[in-house]
Formats: sequence, structure tokens, C-alpha cells
Amino acid sequence: MQTNRKSLVWHIPLLLIVLVIILPILFMISNSFKTLHDSYNSILSLIPSHPTLANYITLNHQINLIRVTLNTFGMATLVTLGKISTGLLAAYAFHNFKFHGKKIVYFIFIATIFVPFTTIMIPNYLVISKMNLLNNMLGVALPQMCDAAGIMLFLKAMEKVPTSLVESARIDDIPERKILMNIIIPILKPNIISIGAIFFINSWNEYVWPTLILKDKGSFTLPLALQNYISSEGGTNFPLAMALATIMIIPPLLIYVIFQKYILNSISSSGLK
Amino acid sequence: MESNGYSIVLEDVSKDYDKSTNVIKNMNLKIYPGELLVFLGPSGCGKSTTLRMIAGLEDPTGGKIIINNKDSRNLNNKQRSIAMVFQDYALYPNMTVYQNLEYALKVHRVPKEERKQRLEKIMESLNLSKYKDRFPAELSGGQKQRVALGRGMAKKTNIFLLDEPLSNIDVQLREKARDQLLQLHNQNGQTILYVTHDQQEAMALGDRIAVINNGIVQMIDTPENVYHNPSNLFVAKFVGSPQINVIQVEYNDSNLITLDGMKLISNYKNIVQKDKRLLLGIRPENISISEKQETESIPVKIDAVTDYGKFKQLTIKVSPEVNLKALTPSWNSNAATAYMKFDQDCILLFDKNTGTRID
Repeated sequence: MQTNRKSLVWHIPLLLIVLVIILPILFMISNSFKTLHDSYNSILSLIPSHPTLANYITLNHQINLIRVTLNTFGMATLVTLGKISTGLLAAYAFHNFKFHGKKIVYFIFIATIFVPFTTIMIPNYLVISKMNLLNNMLGVALPQMCDAAGIMLFLKAMEKVPTSLVESARIDDIPERKILMNIIIPILKPNIISIGAIFFINSWNEYVWPTLILKDKGSFTLPLALQNYISSEGGTNFPLAMALATIMIIPPLLIYVIFQKYILNSISSSGLK
Repeated sequence: MESNGYSIVLEDVSKDYDKSTNVIKNMNLKIYPGELLVFLGPSGCGKSTTLRMIAGLEDPTGGKIIINNKDSRNLNNKQRSIAMVFQDYALYPNMTVYQNLEYALKVHRVPKEERKQRLEKIMESLNLSKYKDRFPAELSGGQKQRVALGRGMAKKTNIFLLDEPLSNIDVQLREKARDQLLQLHNQNGQTILYVTHDQQEAMALGDRIAVINNGIVQMIDTPENVYHNPSNLFVAKFVGSPQINVIQVEYNDSNLITLDGMKLISNYKNIVQKDKRLLLGIRPENISISEKQETESIPVKIDAVTDYGKFKQLTIKVSPEVNLKALTPSWNSNAATAYMKFDQDCILLFDKNTGTRID
């Protein structure tokens, strides 16, 4: 009885916090199913009085939803794969090779985590434009394909793998590339999935950098399309914007639900988001 | 026995990690082809480091290692022809027993049929056939140890290194594993280097034992000589259980006298030594205890009797300063006093300061 009461005391503030987080999402979803008229009259009611799919249908006519979603998906996948592969390679080298200045190089890498994106935005933009990659998905993805936080997370994960595994394989004359591919990566699979999921979600929601690079509407990602829609065409049509936002959160939500176990593990063990 | 083993020679090999602490100091060692040499020493003595240098996992900071008459710096892992079993077995957790055994062979393109034949033989001999499709996490310590051993065997190398491979398994299984290892050695004739801190294991396995302490080889010889003829006090103390008795004595006119004046031995052979003060070592089984007085026996007080079944261990007081342990096959007396006699041939004398043997 005592424990029950105690946990109840804890649950009330926790429930309140959950409510604060989840209410705007419910609000967004419910409004996406309201007519414009409905939403003006009862914007705060959670259950639409006349539920309709009209907003979604209109959206599909006005913007090329499939195209934009594919763009976002392609960009996020490219960035995620890039971050995973560069992160794994770098972490493997930091962990298993001896070379001069290793600690200094690692420190410099880690220090880049603390450099705000806004400070490198302009130089990055100039490089990408010189490479003729403006308005190109590759231009969005390229500067993000290596990430110090990823290296650090993979390195921490590799430190938990006994060194004797790599040593044993080396004595057996297994090439380093095969040690990484056939031994280390399979062992780190849960870490790769969770870190990859976080990368993917972050990349999916990316807004500032793609805004700089992507000018052409055909190459827009979902966050850009949403912003564009709100500020120009659908600015006054609130339910339409909410429908687009709802579409946008589905994939990250799915990833989160599917890989929840892995993601929570990796966040709680690393202390990082 | 035909030998498939490589010789290994260490010439002035040293290793330090931060230029101040020497883990290995100018080590010289010659390991014969096909020999089973055991590195014995307390933890942190440098025996594993030596093994790792031979395996090529660490580079010596001085001196050189010569494997099969070639400088190891010029050899790649294949030419070294080394297999190694780690203390934690280092089995690949993502592969089954069979895949673990097969992996190195597969990477080196050994034909599938040959792989299968070789591995089936090994699994048969190590009793692993029924665990073939299990993952390491589903195996017991002893089974994992056998897989690790099998993985080393599968490669058919000329040198086999084992780093405390039996320390994580039950005592009952250890003896069996030792036998398997000896059998394997007899069959293949590889040069085997075996690291352990367990002196019994070292005695049971080694053709020769290299006793190592503080990065220095204290003695390298057969188990018999290491036990009966230790080169210094450290070796004498490290090998043997219960430990050797050590008494401070004075050498005076062919007599060995304890510091509190008890004459232990008279008419001892002549020794040349400036310092009259020495350390006398005698193993517990070389002290005979009897209830009756004999010539030259010394009266002692019996403080405690520990029954080990096979033998009894007596804790005896010779003088207020001198307490000894003695082993005897039987002791039924309740008497508090008895008579003790040293087996003169088994007396070991050491320098008091350096611990080196003098006699």
C-alpha cells in the first residue's frame, strides 16, 4: 500500500510532464482532421466534430508529397549511412591503432562537438557552392557525413568489446577490414541501430542547413516544405499545415517505436542525446 | 618424437611502457623447438607481456626476439606461425562454435572440404561435436576453453601460446584440460609456451619452467630442478605448497646455528662465504618428526596439527624465534613435544641480502 501511494506521488508530476509534451502533438493531429471552419470555431477541442481527410487530399494536390518525403528520406539515409560509416572507421582506428598524436587528434575531433553550427554554416556554404552542389541533396548531406559525437559514441561502444578479440584475430592474420566487418560490427549491431536511429531522426528534422542549400521546391525536404507552406500558401489554412506536420512526424515516430529498446539503452548509457 | 615446433630466442629483450617503469629487463631466453615451456610467476611479473611480445602484439623496447632463426621484426603474423589462447578465450560472440573454429581458415582460403575434415577431427578430440552450432554465450567455461584450444589447433601453427587458459574453469575440469593439452603436444610437437601463476599447473605441464619475477627470469630448468634445486630464495619460496621454511642462521665452525643460539646442524659441509649470517631453506617434507629422541634430533614443541588426509601438517616451535612447518604421512600422538631432524641433503642455503643460493 505504502509503495503504491509513494509511486502515485511520483506519477502525478510525471503524468503532468507527459501531458505537456503530448498535448501539442494531439492538438496537431486532431486539427489536421478538422475543416477550416471547424478549427476556427473549436481549435482547442481534441475530437473533431466533423472528421475529414480533406486536408490530406488537398495537400497531396498542392505539393508533391511523395517527392518531398522521398527527398527527406534520401537525405536522412545518406547522412545516417555517412555518419555511421565514418564514425565506425574513425572509432576503430582510435581504438585499435597506435599512432603519434592520437590523443591530440581525438581531442580536436571531440572539441568540434562544442563548435556551434552557426559558426561553420557560412564556410560550409562557401565550400558547397564552390563544389557546385547547391540545390543538390549531396550538398546537404556531405558536410554532415562525419560527426564527432558519432565517433565518440562508437568509440565508447568499442571500448566495451574485449581487446583480446581483435588481438586474437590479428594473431590469426585476419586483415583489419575483416576484423571490423565480421567481428566488431556484428557485435556492435545494437549500438549501430540505436545511434543510427538518432542520427536519422535528427537529420529528418534538420531545417536550417537544408534551407541554405535547397532553393528549388522540387528538392525540398519535409521541414522546408512545411515552413514554406505556412509562410506562403497555407499560412492562413491552419488544418492544412497541421496535416503536413503530422505526415512529417510519422517516420521518426515509427523509428522510435521500433527501436525504442535500443535507443533508450544507448541514451542512458552514454548520457548524450 | 618428430618436432614441428619453431625455436624462440629472446636476446636482451626489454619492455617499458612509459620509459620509467621496466616491465621486462634484459631478458635472455632460449626455447627449444617442440618444447613445452611454462612461464611461472606472480601476477604483474611480466610473463604475459613476454608472451604478447612473442605473439607480436607488443613491440619490445630493446633487444630482439628470434623465431625460427629469423628476427621477428621482419616476420608477419603468418610467418611467425603462432596460435594463441587468451585467458578470456576471445571467442567471437557472433559466431557459433563451428564458425569460430572455421573463421581463420576461411579467411585464408583453406578449401571447404579440408576445413570440414580438419575441424571435425578436432571437435571429435575435444568433445565439441554436439556443441557445434551453439554460440559462445551458450557454453560453460570448460567448453569455451576447449573451443579456444580447438581454434588454436585448427590453424596448425608451429608455436602455440597459452595465456592462463585454465584459470577461469573449475578445478575438476582443469586436470582434464591439462591432460588434453599434453596429449595435443605429444601429437603435434609444436613449441608451446604456457603462462600461469599456478605452480602446480606449471609442474604438471612443463618440460621446463621459467620462473619470472619483476621482469627477470629467475630460473629456467626442469620442474624437478626448480623444486629441489632452486637458484634463489624467490624460486624456492614461490614453488611448493606449503611454502618452504626459511630460517635465519649463522654458519660457525661447520655448524648452522639459529640466531637465538639453537644448533640446528653440526658438521655441515664447508662453505665459502664472508658473511656468516645466512638463510636456511628446508621444505616441510624434508623435516622428519618423531616421538623418540635420535642422535642429533632436536626437541620441538608441536603447536598445531592440520589434517590434509593424505598427509598431516605440523606447526612446530623450535625456539622462541623459530617456527616451522613439517609434513608427515601420519601423526597420531597427542604429545606436545617431539623430536625433529632435517634431511641434510635437502638443506638449501641462501645469501641473506641477495637471496642467491650459496651451497
